[in-house]
Amino acid sequence: MSQFMRSIRLENVTKSKNGHLILNNVSLEIPSGEFFALLGPSGCGKTTLLRLIAGLETLDSGRILLGNKDISSQPAHKRKINVVFQNYALFPHLNVYDNVAYSLAIQSKPKDEIEYKVLKLLKAFHLNELIYKKPSELSGGQQQRVAIARAIINEPEVLLLDEPLAALDFKLREKLLIELIELQDKLLTTFVYVTHDQFEALTVADQMAIMNHQGNIAQIGTPKQIYEFPNSTFVAKFVGNTNIFTGSLEMLNEPRFTVPDLGTFSINPSIVKEKTIDPNKTTIMSIRPEKIYISKKPVENFSNTLTGIVSSIVYNGRSTFYEVLLNNKMKLQVFEQNEEHFPQETIDYDDRVFLCWQKENVVLLER
Amino acid sequence: MLAKRKRSITGEIKLSEANLNIDKLSNPTLTKKKKTSLWKIFKSEALFTIGSTPIIWQIIFFYIPLLILVATSLVKTSTSGQFIGLTLEHFYPLLNTTYLTIIFNSFGLSLVTTFLCLIIGFPLAYFIAFNGGRLKNVLLFLLLIPFWTNFILHIYAWFFVLEKHGFLNNLLLDLGLISSPLHFLNSTFSVLVMMVYFYLPFMVLPIFSSLERFNPLLLEASYDLGANHRQTLQKILLPLTLSAIRAGIFLVYIPSFGEFVIPELMGGDRNFFVGNVISLFILGEKTGPVGIAFTVLSTLCLLISLFFINRFFQYLSKKITGEA
Amino acid sequence: MLNAFKKLRPQLFPTLFLFLVFFFLYLPIIILLVFSFNTREFPAPWEGFSLKWYYELFHTPEIWVAFFNSCIVGIASTFICLTLAVFMIYFLASGGKIGKFIPIFYGNLIIPETVLAVGLLSYFSLMHIPLGLLTIIVAHTLVGLGFTIPILYIRYRELDPKIFEASQTLGASHKQTFTKISLPLMTPALIATGLVTFILSFDDFILAYFTSGSSLTLSLYLLSSIRYGISPIINALASILLIITCTLVFLFFSLKTKTRIL
Repeated sequence: MSQFMRSIRLENVTKSKNGHLILNNVSLEIPSGEFFALLGPSGCGKTTLLRLIAGLETLDSGRILLGNKDISSQPAHKRKINVVFQNYALFPHLNVYDNVAYSLAIQSKPKDEIEYKVLKLLKAFHLNELIYKKPSELSGGQQQRVAIARAIINEPEVLLLDEPLAALDFKLREKLLIELIELQDKLLTTFVYVTHDQFEALTVADQMAIMNHQGNIAQIGTPKQIYEFPNSTFVAKFVGNTNIFTGSLEMLNEPRFTVPDLGTFSINPSIVKEKTIDPNKTTIMSIRPEKIYISKKPVENFSNTLTGIVSSIVYNGRSTFYEVLLNNKMKLQVFEQNEEHFPQETIDYDDRVFLCWQKENVVLLER
Repeated sequence: MLAKRKRSITGEIKLSEANLNIDKLSNPTLTKKKKTSLWKIFKSEALFTIGSTPIIWQIIFFYIPLLILVATSLVKTSTSGQFIGLTLEHFYPLLNTTYLTIIFNSFGLSLVTTFLCLIIGFPLAYFIAFNGGRLKNVLLFLLLIPFWTNFILHIYAWFFVLEKHGFLNNLLLDLGLISSPLHFLNSTFSVLVMMVYFYLPFMVLPIFSSLERFNPLLLEASYDLGANHRQTLQKILLPLTLSAIRAGIFLVYIPSFGEFVIPELMGGDRNFFVGNVISLFILGEKTGPVGIAFTVLSTLCLLISLFFINRFFQYLSKKITGEA
Repeated sequence: MLNAFKKLRPQLFPTLFLFLVFFFLYLPIIILLVFSFNTREFPAPWEGFSLKWYYELFHTPEIWVAFFNSCIVGIASTFICLTLAVFMIYFLASGGKIGKFIPIFYGNLIIPETVLAVGLLSYFSLMHIPLGLLTIIVAHTLVGLGFTIPILYIRYRELDPKIFEASQTLGASHKQTFTKISLPLMTPALIATGLVTFILSFDDFILAYFTSGSSLTLSLYLLSSIRYGISPIINALASILLIITCTLVFLFFSLKTKTRIL
């Protein structure tokens, strides 16, 4: 699979349907050879974006380019871009072999070439026992694999996946996610993976883009960049959980963030220096639940401390999730890994606890 | 075990440098487009023609003849066939009691037939669908066979049974129950029997189809929440199958209005309906405009009655489903 | 024992009802059949088993001419209907939108056949089209279209549209998607509706009555023989037709699960 792969570029793409604006002047570059995730809430337009790239819909304005070539008006069957659909869309009247062989049969390739390629691929996907079965006789996971095999056998430049694991149960999903990553590793084909599940996106992506409800791209970056350094409250809240504090920023000797009725918290200066922070507009401080340390006893060595009363506890096996009521009536979310079999201290409902975090573990946002 | 992969987890947002030479992104070539668009136009025209063929056929052989039918009834021509003008004169001879009674009779026939088919057909469909069990397909099979047997053959069969020297009379005579043959035929009774016999499947099939697809869990939920049979039937089953019932009603009412064979063969001279008159007019003499006017008039009456029946049906269904 | 009867009771009324209705439906047919084997001509009572009326049947050429005509008309009208339906499917498979026009076909089944027949009759005479088998075929296609077009359209729309999109993204042109995917998936429905169209045509009477001119279909022949009264040859014919009907219904049933027409 070592052919020259081209990147996909969307330039100022706008699309409306039934009077609703779905994609609002979207520009995006998807680097070649990478596993790219497109994440967003339901109805944000990510599936529409995928379909535009595939050629199943036409854009109202803008361009789509594959490398240097403008493919905006190229029909779907001419593009070397294949799709794995959410419910697999396997051809019900064809068996596994014919489903996978379809794209090669369309090109009228010689029969033995087809046979060679199909059998090889089916073997790699552990589907060779099921060659003559019809899709209705397969399990969800098997159908999934057939759909993927069908879409990669003619070596497309880009593989688009539209929530391919949505119909599967949790354990199966985890397993297939890993398999997808390994597959992309081997093929080096550009994968564009659309999902509303942030766990999936964070797991598979080399780079990802988040879309919001207005049909815009909120942020692009690596999973770590997006998770640790969100650029807006929307991204901070959509990817993972977070605690949002509203207040004001003061840039004195040391930057400090004041939250009314709660207190003032110190911020690590390096956070403020790198970005262009406008103290007048910066009104949000975001801190992730796992960055907060919870304890019944006061703790040294932490830059910031709060107290509160535990109002909710959810035990999740490897972690415990707390909700703590603060003095300003806000509920703080705290995430603690269950590191010890026999914890030295047990936190219970209505306990008064101390919540601490370091001053570099926050994100300052404007809205 | 995760894949071994070198993934960049640090650093700033880095767009791939690989293919980003913006200067080289040229404008799309215009020449290629021109050629494709001409071919595309041709292809889409051909496609459009293919797709519209059924519609064209329908227009040529269905709508135009009907339009001509209506037009003929409204047009006056001289003896040599010259168009003179629009007129209603062809309708005048029809507006007397004879013809109106005939139309009225036809309404009566259709309504009674529809009603009978409904009260027999709905339970039939219900029982096959819900009480059929393993026999369901067999029963459906048995229902379809008479339905798909030749129409005239049916009439012949009943003829055979009900005729003066037919089976039933002979049987009754032999059993000593009667002394002389009864006249089953040539009566409204025989006409109705035949009408129901013929039109019953039209009522049963749509209702059965709807009942078969009915989710039995809905009924179970209703029982679970405390409703008895009657309430469940009325509040759950009926509203959801209402459209199928309406389809069945129309499938019986409308054709039975124009029915003339059954009355003619089974009813003898005593019963005279719209269809009989039409066939007399059209086939007896030349295709005179009066006959056509009568056809148009009765169709108009039918359409009007449809409107009212539809209204009545809506009212009924609101009453049935709206009742607390 | 009372308990056993009580258990039966809910089933008693339905069973009785079903039994009565089917008895009513089949009584004349069975009687017909039975007496087709009688040695003596009706109304003589049952004498003995004989096949002589069948023998006579096969030596009455008029019946077979009419039968043959009915077959031709049935096959021709079915063929035309299915071809037009296939055109529609091709149009749909290539992305055409025809939904708005489907209701114009509803009228074919709603209108009383008598009215349609009269309309066609005056149309044909106006166009100076001679009456005959061709005109009957045309009349039957209308009834067939009213049935096939809406049903096949609905059936097509029930297919997962993503399947066609998958075919497109895998490189198939419209024509290839049509021949490899759409058509095979629609075939069971096509056959089922074709069957129904054929039967509707074969059994039709009213349309043929008005538009046949001097040609005879089986229905018309039967009508004229009824006017002469009962004949055991007709009984024999009835049993043969019944066998044919059974076969066709059986065929339809084997397709039923694939098409969900009923």
